[in-house]
Amino acid sequence: MKIWSTEHQFSYPWETVVKAAMRKYPNPMNPSVIGVDVLDRGLDSRGRLHSHRLLSTEWGLPSIVRAILGTNHTQTYVKEHSVVDPEEKKMELCSTNITLTNFISVDERLVYHPHPENPDVTVLTQEAIITVKGVSLSSYLESMMARRMSANARKDKNTADKWHLSRFLQRKKTILEQLNVL
Amino acid sequence: GIYLYGVLKRSVGEACTDLKREYDQCFNRWFAEKFLKGDRSGDPCSESFRTYQRCVHKAIKDKDIPIDGVEFMGPSKDKPET
Repeated sequence: MKIWSTEHQFSYPWETVVKAAMRKYPNPMNPSVIGVDVLDRGLDSRGRLHSHRLLSTEWGLPSIVRAILGTNHTQTYVKEHSVVDPEEKKMELCSTNITLTNFISVDERLVYHPHPENPDVTVLTQEAIITVKGVSLSSYLESMMARRMSANARKDKNTADKWHLSRFLQRKKTILEQLNVL
Repeated sequence: GIYLYGVLKRSVGEACTDLKREYDQCFNRWFAEKFLKGDRSGDPCSESFRTYQRCVHKAIKDKDIPIDGVEFMGPSKDKPET
């Protein structure tokens, strides 16, 4: 089991960042998420918005792992529950994979809130617990997933900073960058 | 490469993607212009949501995606009142 956490600051007010966060999928900067659906959504008695979403993701596991899993089925589904509290100015988001669970679990929690001293800055804290079942592959895979989480977190920051507030050229560049990666 | 951009917008049910886009558009507008600004009137997208939901839930069933009974480590225990 690997626990991983990080913190980021965005130079935008909370509302702006949260709008971006709600819309971050689909997103060419995070190619691992290929689809997103809302399963359920509603306000609670405190006026907070709850959303349950189903994300279809490609984890991009290395081919050796695919061979061991005996499947090309690297499309994995992730369920996400987010709560947006417009009064407290807090967005909390938890997600976990619901397929390949016999093999790996990735539980992630993100919280967006305004910087206590500067309302024009938003703080994101992100933590993840990664558990790989099975012995030999475990530490290798856990490290790999943790690295991916780091990379995705950096993308998240870019996402809110640039993608949603975006320019077409920015997007174009990102896609081209992806082409190089692929 | 470039095709990714088109693929990214899809729903889990290929047939639901247009319904999803219509709903997303409605929701995003309400979220930005009403909800975040403290307007407590309910969201106006329930009709497009219902149509989209019927499609998605059918797709989930057809694909046998196990969406029920997932325990999260997070957030608050309160259930939405919908």
